[in-house]
Amino acid sequence: MADQEEQENRKISSYPLDHNSYKLLQVIGTGVSATVYKAACLPISSSVVAIKAINLERSRANLDDVRREAKAMTLLSHPNILKAHCSFTVNHHLWVVMPFMSAGSLHSIISSSFPNGLNEPSVAVVLKETLNALLYLHDQGHLHRDIKAGNILVDSDGSVKLADFGVSASIYEPNTSQASMSLSSSSNLMFNEVAGTPYWMAPEVIHSHVGYSFKADIWSFGITALELAHGRPPLSHLPPWKSLFMRITNRLRLSDFHEIKNKKDKKFSKCFRDMVASCLAQDPSKRPTAEKLLKHPFFKNCKSVDFLVKNMLQGLPTVEERFREESLRFSRRIPAVDEDHDDDDEQDVDDEMLVGPVVKNRRISGWNFNEDVLELYPVFPNQGSSSSSSESSSTQSDDHNQQQMMREKINTNPSQDERESSTVEDEFEEREVEDDQLQKVVMNPSSSSMEYSSSSTTAMVDVAPLIPNLETLMDSLDIERKMVSDLLNQIRGQEVTVDGDDDHQMNSREEKLHEMVRKLSFELHQEKRKSFLLEMELEYLRTTVNSGPQGSVEGATQ
Amino acid sequence: MKGLFKSKPRTPAELVRQTRDLLIFADINSTSREAKREEKMAELSKLIRELKCILYGNSESEPVSEACAQLTQEFFKANTLRLLIICLPKLNLEARKDATQVVANLQRQQVHSRLIASDYLEANKDLMDILISGYEDTDLALHYGAMLRECIRHQTIARYVLESEHMKKFFDFIQLPNFDIASDASATFKELLTRHKSTVAEFLTKNYDWFFAEYNSKLLESPNYITRRQAIKLLGDMLLDRANSSVMMRYVSSKDNLRILMNLLRESSKNIQLEAFHVFKLFAANQNKPPEIVGILVANRSKLLRFFGDFKIDKEDEQFEADKAQVVKEIAALEPKDRS
Repeated sequence: MADQEEQENRKISSYPLDHNSYKLLQVIGTGVSATVYKAACLPISSSVVAIKAINLERSRANLDDVRREAKAMTLLSHPNILKAHCSFTVNHHLWVVMPFMSAGSLHSIISSSFPNGLNEPSVAVVLKETLNALLYLHDQGHLHRDIKAGNILVDSDGSVKLADFGVSASIYEPNTSQASMSLSSSSNLMFNEVAGTPYWMAPEVIHSHVGYSFKADIWSFGITALELAHGRPPLSHLPPWKSLFMRITNRLRLSDFHEIKNKKDKKFSKCFRDMVASCLAQDPSKRPTAEKLLKHPFFKNCKSVDFLVKNMLQGLPTVEERFREESLRFSRRIPAVDEDHDDDDEQDVDDEMLVGPVVKNRRISGWNFNEDVLELYPVFPNQGSSSSSSESSSTQSDDHNQQQMMREKINTNPSQDERESSTVEDEFEEREVEDDQLQKVVMNPSSSSMEYSSSSTTAMVDVAPLIPNLETLMDSLDIERKMVSDLLNQIRGQEVTVDGDDDHQMNSREEKLHEMVRKLSFELHQEKRKSFLLEMELEYLRTTVNSGPQGSVEGATQ
Repeated sequence: MKGLFKSKPRTPAELVRQTRDLLIFADINSTSREAKREEKMAELSKLIRELKCILYGNSESEPVSEACAQLTQEFFKANTLRLLIICLPKLNLEARKDATQVVANLQRQQVHSRLIASDYLEANKDLMDILISGYEDTDLALHYGAMLRECIRHQTIARYVLESEHMKKFFDFIQLPNFDIASDASATFKELLTRHKSTVAEFLTKNYDWFFAEYNSKLLESPNYITRRQAIKLLGDMLLDRANSSVMMRYVSSKDNLRILMNLLRESSKNIQLEAFHVFKLFAANQNKPPEIVGILVANRSKLLRFFGDFKIDKEDEQFEADKAQVVKEIAALEPKDRS
C-alpha cells in the first residue's frame, strides 16, 4: 500500500510546474473566477489533462481559501475523489492540473441528454460512488460543502469522482477567523460561514448562526439525488438567490410553486424514496451519516460503473460539444429568466390538487419532502410551527423551533398517501384546521369560531398558546432580518463563492444581482412592516387573553 | 488471535508505548521488505489512527481530557515525537495525515496546566530543523509544514526558528513553483512574523537590515504575482502592529522603501494596490518625514493626487475613504524642506 502510494506520488510530481509545458486545447467550463480547459501535457506524450485556471484577482479575495483547496486536492487520496496532479501560478492565475474526466459532470450529462433525469439504477451507481467519496472525506474530517451533480465527474470508463473543493473545509484546519477556537473542543466541529450553492444548501447552512457540520453534506447529497432523478434540483425554476432567500424568509407564494409537473409518471422505488427522505430530515441529527447511508438497502444491489458506460455514456456528445451548446443555449435564455412563470401558471390547478384545498397566495413557511412523488412540498406557517413544536424535544429552544419551521420538512402528503400512514395524515389534517382557525383568530379574535379543538374548554384559553408561537415568529423575523442584511452585504461584496456550472449563470447575471439587491431591500422593508403588524397582533391577543374569563387579575377585576 | 485481545481495550499510555516500539522497528528496519514489516507498518498506521481518535474524539464521542492527558504525558516521556517525525517518510499517506494531526493536537494539550510539548520541544529544538527541511521535499512538505506551524505556537520555539539560519530559506520556499508547498511556506512565514508580538518586534529590530533588504528585493519586487501580493499584505500587517512601531518608523523613513511602495501602487492588480496603499499611507502620515521622503512626495505630488482621485475600491469602506482623504491632505500640504 505504501509502495503504491509512493508510486502515485512520483507520478504526480512528474507533472511539470510551468505553463509552457501545457497546451490549452478547449474551454470546457467557465465560472465567475475560474475557467476549465482541456489541455495537453506536452512532456508527457501530450497526455490529456484538465486545467482549472483560477483568477486570483477576481471574486475570491481570500488566498487562504485557495490554499486550502490546493491542499485538500493534494492530500486527499481516494478512487472517487478527483485529485490534482499539481498546481502552480501563472501571473495572477492559479493553474490546477487535474485528470481529464472525459464524460464531464453529471450536471452537464443530464442537461444535454437526460433532461428528465436518469433512470434509477444509474442514479444508484452515481450516488453510491459519490457516497464512497463522502465517507472518505468525512472520515478525514473534511466537509465538502458543495455536493451537487455539477461537481460529480464521470470518466469514459464510467468511474465517478467528486470534485471541486473550492469551499471545502477541514475540522482539523480551522480558518483564520476561527483560529482562536481550541481544536479539541466540540464546538470546533461546527462551521458558520455560508458556503455552497443555494439550491443544494442545507437549511442549517443558510441559517448559519446555528452552526452546521457533516450532516449538511448529507442534505446536499439528498438534493443531488433529486437532481439526478428529476434532471434538476428542487426550486431550480427560481434564480439561486431567490431560492435561498425564500428559505430564509418563507415568503414564497403558492403561485410561485410549480415544480410538481409530470413527475407522477416517473416511478421511483420505495427504497430510493426512503433513502432520499432520510437525507432530507430537517433536523441534522436525524440524517444518517455517510457510513450508515452506504448500508441503506437502496445501495445493496447497486450495479457496477460499467452500467453507466452502457446506459449513460453511449451516444453522449463530448464535453467540448456540450459546453459550446450550453453556452449558446444559455445566451439565448438570459433575456427571459422568468419566462417559465407564464407557462406554469396553468399548473396551479395541479398544485392545489396535490397540496389540498388551500387558498392561493397563502404564505409558505418551508418545505415538506414528499416521499411519494419525491419532491419538496411547501409548508404553511401554522402547520410548520405546530408540527415542529410537536416533534422537537423539550431541550430545544423556542428559537430553534422557529428555525425548524423555516426548514424543509419531511412529511407525507395526505392527498397522495391516504391509507399508508394514517397517523401522519391525521396530524396533517389537524394542522390544516388549525391553520384555518388561526386565520379566523387573527381576523376576529373574539369570535366563537375559535373552538377548534375538542379538548379546549373555552375560546379564550385557546388563544393563549398562540402567543409563544407569535413571539417566536417575531424573534425569527429579527434573525431573518439579520440574515437578509448579511446576504445583502455578501452580494455587494461579491464574496459569495459560487462554483461550477452555475457560474456562468451568475456571471451573466451580474447586473441582475444589482436588481436583486434592490428587490431584497424592498423585501426587507416589507419584512419589517410585517414584524410590526405581528407585534400589533400580539398586543391585541394579549389584551384578549387578559380580558378573557380565565384570564389574569386584570381580566378578573373588570 | 487478534480478536481475543479486542475485548480488552488498551490504555492511552499502552497505545503510545506500542506506537513507540513499532516506530523504533520502522526506523531500524528501513530496508527489510518482508511481509512481517508490512504487517507491522499496518499495525503502526492503526495505532496512530487510534491516538488521533483519543485526541479528537469521533462522531460518537467527545475526547476525554483524562485520556488525552495520559496520552500526552506518555508521548513526551520518551522520544516518541522525534521517532514519529523521523519515521514519517516511511508511513503511507493516510498515516502521515493522522500523525500530523496527532502532533498538532499534542501541542495544545495541557497536563497539570502545563504545555509539556513546549518543554519537550525546547529541549529538542533540532526537530525544527528537520521540519523546516521538509519544504525541500515535495512528499513531506505539507505534513512537516503543518507540524511546524503548530510547534511555533510556542513562543520559545518561534524565537528559535526566527533566529535560526532557516529564516533566510523561507524567502525561497515561498517562491517554490509548487503552489501547495509555496503557500504552506507562506502561511508558516506569516505565522512566524505575526503570532508572538514581542518576539517578532525583537527579531525585526535586531535583524532589520538583512531582513528588509531581502523582503524588498526578493518578495516585494518578485516577478511572481502571488509572492508580491502576499508579501505586501504581510508587510502591512507587520508595520501596522503597535508592537512594531519603531520598526515601522524606520521603514517609512527610507526612500528606497517608498519607491518600492509607489511602484506597487501602480500595479494592475487591485488587491496589490489596496494593500500597498495601507503601507503607503504610513509614509504620508509620518509627522517626521525625512527630507528625501518629502522630496519624492513633492516631486510626484500632482501624479499622486491624480492617482488618489481615481483610486476606488469596490466595497464601501469608510475607513479607507477617511485614510485616503488624510493622505491626500498630507500630500497636498507638503512644502519642500529646502524652502521652509
